[in-house]
Amino acid sequence: MSRALYWLWAVFWLLMIAVAVQDKISDPYIKWWEPYLWEGSSCIVATLWLVLQQRAAGGWDRYLTQPLKWFGLHLAWLPVLALTFITSVYAARHGIYALAGRSYHHPSWPFVFMYETVKLTLFMGLWLAIIFGLKSFTLWKQERERLLQMQKHLAESQLAQLKAQLQPHFLFNALNTISALMQSDVARADRLLTRLADLLRASLTVGSRHQTSLRDEWKLLELYASIMQERFAGRVTLTWHASDEALNASIPAMLLQPLLENAYKHGVEKSSQPVAIRVEAERAGDELYVRIHNSGAWPGVQGSGIGLRNCRERLALVYGERAKLEVVPVSDGVTASVTLPYEQS
Amino acid sequence: MVRVLIVDDEAPARDKLRRWVGAQGDFEVAGEAADGLAAAAAIESLKPDVVFLDIQMPGLSGLEVAAQLESDAAPLLVFVTAFDEHAIRAFDLNAVDYLLKPYDRDRLEKSLQRLRERRGAAQLGSAVRAARAQTRSSERLLVPRGEQLELIEASAIHWLEADDNYVHVHTAGAKYLVRRTLADLLEQLGERFVRIHKSTAVNLAEVASLAPLFKGDHEVRLRGGAVLRLSRRFKDELFARMPR
Repeated sequence: MSRALYWLWAVFWLLMIAVAVQDKISDPYIKWWEPYLWEGSSCIVATLWLVLQQRAAGGWDRYLTQPLKWFGLHLAWLPVLALTFITSVYAARHGIYALAGRSYHHPSWPFVFMYETVKLTLFMGLWLAIIFGLKSFTLWKQERERLLQMQKHLAESQLAQLKAQLQPHFLFNALNTISALMQSDVARADRLLTRLADLLRASLTVGSRHQTSLRDEWKLLELYASIMQERFAGRVTLTWHASDEALNASIPAMLLQPLLENAYKHGVEKSSQPVAIRVEAERAGDELYVRIHNSGAWPGVQGSGIGLRNCRERLALVYGERAKLEVVPVSDGVTASVTLPYEQS
Repeated sequence: MVRVLIVDDEAPARDKLRRWVGAQGDFEVAGEAADGLAAAAAIESLKPDVVFLDIQMPGLSGLEVAAQLESDAAPLLVFVTAFDEHAIRAFDLNAVDYLLKPYDRDRLEKSLQRLRERRGAAQLGSAVRAARAQTRSSERLLVPRGEQLELIEASAIHWLEADDNYVHVHTAGAKYLVRRTLADLLEQLGERFVRIHKSTAVNLAEVASLAPLFKGDHEVRLRGGAVLRLSRRFKDELFARMPR
């Protein structure tokens, strides 16, 4: 943007010089170099001021949305600009004329100050308008870019949210377990199928319902765990602990299921040893703590998956800075812990 | 009778396969395994004709087990998986048999029928190769240690020595005897190793020095102290691949 500005500036001054030269070219009393000196001296001092504005006035860009303030801040400098401009330009001209053995004739000083100040005000207004226009355009472009990025990100996370609810891997495996049980124990297969349907229904209604009680979410976790119990009989021991007060809390629907799913995916499915999973919830003052712990080795990658990112984004959307989700290795396994503001459901 | 090994970490899934495969007149279930290492050990000890191999398992995955088999002497493999887009694409490309969970009796029958047709036909080893392409099989080698099997890092291997149908795998502190051919082992382990003799291959990173002998043969000294012979047949390849 400043490159475009400097080009424009250069063109402007070339025109100014060309006009002045053209104007005096046939005047026998004016030497050829004089118009160059007049315009050149003005050009150099004005350019210094432009560079100063570009370097130093960046801080005022935050007022681009309040044009009056932005222009006001710049125009406040007009007296300083006028005084330094006129004195330095005229000093330079006098000096160079003296060096050339001539004297520089101009109207009386009060007139010069009046005339030059009016001219400066006009030019300054013009150039501030141009700078303002260029900067506003850049700002608008940046804003639009950011908006597009935000929209894209939002769409992606919504998509991810839908996908992350129940993993296809889980669904197909559960279906296979049912298909296997059907051959030997029809009643058990039937029970498992009903639970799977309940879980599927719950995950599908999440879209319409944002908050739920921890009590309902807890039932969902137990449902999920009971399905996994059929698949991994003997390889998992589960313990549940939640106070009544905690169960009455309001939380985002289907927030915890992906965390339990992770414990199975990284804890149980990757280990031939029996794994202990502990699900706990408690209230401490204004906060609700939920912890899902699984024994076994820290796989190193746990904590970065799409399910967790999703949970974090949902927490951030609902609670901002007041909620957090951490997945950390502990001495006997891995703990996912959620902290969020306690609200009665 | 076609002898079948069933590998799955979930008991209900094994039960279903055992019931249905056992009901076939010409198939019998020779054994079951619940994880990757047990599967590899069972393949070694039971020598089944066919293995139904679940992919998602603790420890070694089904693909990792398959990658460690001798490609031309492996049993017929049928991979079983619930959801594994990537692997399935590779299976389709390489005409590798697989079963998607859940499956019904018809699909299993089809799979068994294909196995009947494949038996006796020249085995291409494509299942093993497809599995190798999808796992880091050139990084790790499954070796027997006493009664157990264990994985060692390929980088820890100093050199390989063929001995009939076996290969001695030499590392810094141990020597393992693997029932594989040298050619197949080299195919699995890839670029890290280079053959220096009909029956010897070395880990390139372990070569300490070379000294000429007569008739174009060379003496190869390894960092670990072993002194081996480089036959002139393999000289050019070793020289081309030695780091300068």
